Amino acid sequence: MIDSVLFIALPYLAIFICIFGSIYRIRKMPMTYSALSSQFLESKSLVWGSVPWHIGIITIVLAHLFALICPGLWQMLMAYKNVLLITEALGLAMGICCLVGLIVLGIRRISSQRIQAVTSRMDLLVLFLLTAQVIFGIGTAVLHRWGAAWATGTAVPYIWSLFTLQPDLSYISDLPHMVKAHIVSAWLLILLVPFSRLIHMFAVPLHYLTRPPQNVLWNNPRHYEAEAAAEEILDTDARREFIKGGVGIAAGTLLLGAGAMDKIFAFFFGPRLTAKEETELMEEKLCRLQATTDQRKLELERQSSKYILVSAMSELSPTEGKYLIDYQMTPAMAFKGEDGLPIVLSAKCTHLGCTVGNTVNKEGKILCPCHVSYFDIKTGEPNADAPAKAPLPILGWALIDKAGKLIASRSSKGEISGDTSSESIKDCDLFIVKTDEVKV
Amino acid sequence: MKAGQSVFATVSNFLSERFPVEHMNFQHMVEKKDVPVHNMSWGYYTGGLTLFFLMVQVVTGLFLLFYYQPTVSDAHLSVEFINKHVAGGALIRNMHTWSASCMIFFAMLHLLTSFAMKAFEKPRELTWIFGVLLLFLTFTFGFTGYLLPWNQIAVNATKVGLQSVEAVGEYLPGALSQLPHILRETFQGEASVGQSTLGRFYALHVVLLPLALLGLISLHLLSVQLHGMSRGVDQPTKKSERFFPFFIFKDLSLWSIVFLLLLILAWCIPFDSFLPYPLLAPYNALGSTPAGIKPEWYFYFLYYPLEMLPFWLILLATGLAVLVLIFTPWIFKGTSRKTLGLITVLASLYLVVMTVFGEQIYHMVKP
Ligand code: HEM
Ligand code: FES
Repeated sequence: MIDSVLFIALPYLAIFICIFGSIYRIRKMPMTYSALSSQFLESKSLVWGSVPWHIGIITIVLAHLFALICPGLWQMLMAYKNVLLITEALGLAMGICCLVGLIVLGIRRISSQRIQAVTSRMDLLVLFLLTAQVIFGIGTAVLHRWGAAWATGTAVPYIWSLFTLQPDLSYISDLPHMVKAHIVSAWLLILLVPFSRLIHMFAVPLHYLTRPPQNVLWNNPRHYEAEAAAEEILDTDARREFIKGGVGIAAGTLLLGAGAMDKIFAFFFGPRLTAKEETELMEEKLCRLQATTDQRKLELERQSSKYILVSAMSELSPTEGKYLIDYQMTPAMAFKGEDGLPIVLSAKCTHLGCTVGNTVNKEGKILCPCHVSYFDIKTGEPNADAPAKAPLPILGWALIDKAGKLIASRSSKGEISGDTSSESIKDCDLFIVKTDEVKV
Repeated sequence: MKAGQSVFATVSNFLSERFPVEHMNFQHMVEKKDVPVHNMSWGYYTGGLTLFFLMVQVVTGLFLLFYYQPTVSDAHLSVEFINKHVAGGALIRNMHTWSASCMIFFAMLHLLTSFAMKAFEKPRELTWIFGVLLLFLTFTFGFTGYLLPWNQIAVNATKVGLQSVEAVGEYLPGALSQLPHILRETFQGEASVGQSTLGRFYALHVVLLPLALLGLISLHLLSVQLHGMSRGVDQPTKKSERFFPFFIFKDLSLWSIVFLLLLILAWCIPFDSFLPYPLLAPYNALGSTPAGIKPEWYFYFLYYPLEMLPFWLILLATGLAVLVLIFTPWIFKGTSRKTLGLITVLASLYLVVMTVFGEQIYHMVKP
């Protein structure tokens, strides 16, 4: 019950009031929605409070919004361990930044008489709630780590369930109290937006980013003089400043270099593998060398012999092609046709040369995965709307029995000769042939 | 003789206006150079960033050279070795890959902004042409580098790429039609993409292209410094900034931030993680090509249209685009910056849409 009030009623109330309250205030009291300034009253601790607070909170709010709006992308990023680590560390650092800023701002509100004059009770309440909110956030980050990863499965779907008007508490009902407190005080803060200086969120000076730089000039001759003097200095001292800057950069680079030196050295020094790693590496190397050797042997064989063994007839399948390398050193494959005779056809796609897959589908076709061309294995013809236009060439073959006698053959033009009865070819081996001269 | 002389005079006049010898001194090229300040000033950083990423490429590339072995039996294993065993190896390799993408991105952006700012006006025609050639070289770098790890996607994408070059032949007249074939044979070196191809791509990637790039960049930068920054906008700007030391320090600060970002990116997100493993497995000459072969993202703008439209159309469009790019200084001589801006926006829109949504569009057109 209490959960429904806090996590369903309160959020809807808060969002409703925030939206309509803010619109009302911006419409009716347009001059009040940028933050009421106290800068002229006291500025030193404003810098030390306001700057860390704003840097921290803006980073954190943007990160929360990012995770909320693109949970898929966020989750994908968090799947990288290092990204998660950096996000968590950065989040915690920014949270602490916020807290420090808030404490300085709080002390300033309380300690300076002049500022108390422009401080309302609402300001104090907001300050208090913000501090609580930040502490709950830091608490969550410290006590229930990896929130950046688990939030996409809990808080994010919960908030989306609110937006889609199908509130679902099951996503968050089991969360620790710290996290729940963080969520509740967030709703409270949203509720207070129209009534407090928080409304200045909607007055972010975004146009500053795109407008050309402007100089703010003081209407006071003293400032003109000071500015002219400054320019004078820039001009005459440019060289000195440049050298200073240069030395600074050099020193920085040197420091950086010194820090990275051992890593760089380690890179060039090379790894020292354990005996086991060394063996594994050697084995893998030999394995790859063997594959290369085999390939070279194939090439040599194609140079010198008229026939090349593909496989025994009995090993051919009608649905799964056996890959081989043809005389042009390009891939080809062999099937057993419906008539029991072998089919050998090029597997080099006539579109852009990928190797065609070897699984025959129900229509008796094989697929080139690169740009989706289907080829009929009997004719080699591609389907009508395929990117490949030419058929896969059908190759000639020869069947030779165990005694080395040529039993049957097919020329590349398709003439079949010899004894093709299934009885006589079943124990034969399939060869591809260099020229069409091979005939029974 | 007279005609010959006047041609010579024209050429020498043209060149001396583009390379004014009297300006070739430190004072003119560095101390006096100003960078205008206006709305489009950010465009002046894109070239510097491209240069920065090139420097990263050179340094990380040299690092990789210590371990990379360009043979079909060892290439894949040596890259794996860099990733698994060498201290900082995975980081260096990742930086090389990420920064390659960044370099291409910024080279394209640099071209687009220079176009929009009409930076190719007299006397900067040659600067522009060198720039266009540099962009093509950078693409070639990407294409040749892609093959080096010798995994499934690398070899198969290279096969498709080279075969596409050959396919151009059908559309060329007479003896020319043999040219693409000869070109492919030259780069491929043997019947199918193999050791000879790897050797050639390696030589191109680590020696020839860097030398060519160095030469072109020197010319490009020399002419930039000689002529100073172009105005970039229509109304003459009142404010400007001295290139040295102010602008160059801004450049350097930007570079250091970008370096930090690159480092974090390369440390956190392996470039390989965008591809499923079967595509990263060592190349297997005997198997079927795995599904999902595609080029690097920076070729999508060419690749997806190629998949969807007739080849001759793409060929025509590409040929035209290349010609237009090269002759831009003369074609767009009288065009206002407003129109140029519009063209740039349209071109960028095309590039972004094809790169980001190319795959979806492809699946919509060809379910
Ligand atoms: C002097 C300059 C360069 C040298 C010495 C060099 C060296 C290398 C080496 C040895 C490799 C193989 C290692 C590996 O695959 O990880 C490689 C890969 C690669 N290079 Fe370069 N490179 C240079 C410049 C460039 C440039 C300017 C670009 C592109 C703009 C580039 C793009 C690539 C790409 C895309 C790869 C494949 C990366 C991968 O998938 O692993 N390189 N380079
Ligand atoms: S390479 Fe086979 S369909 Fe394109």
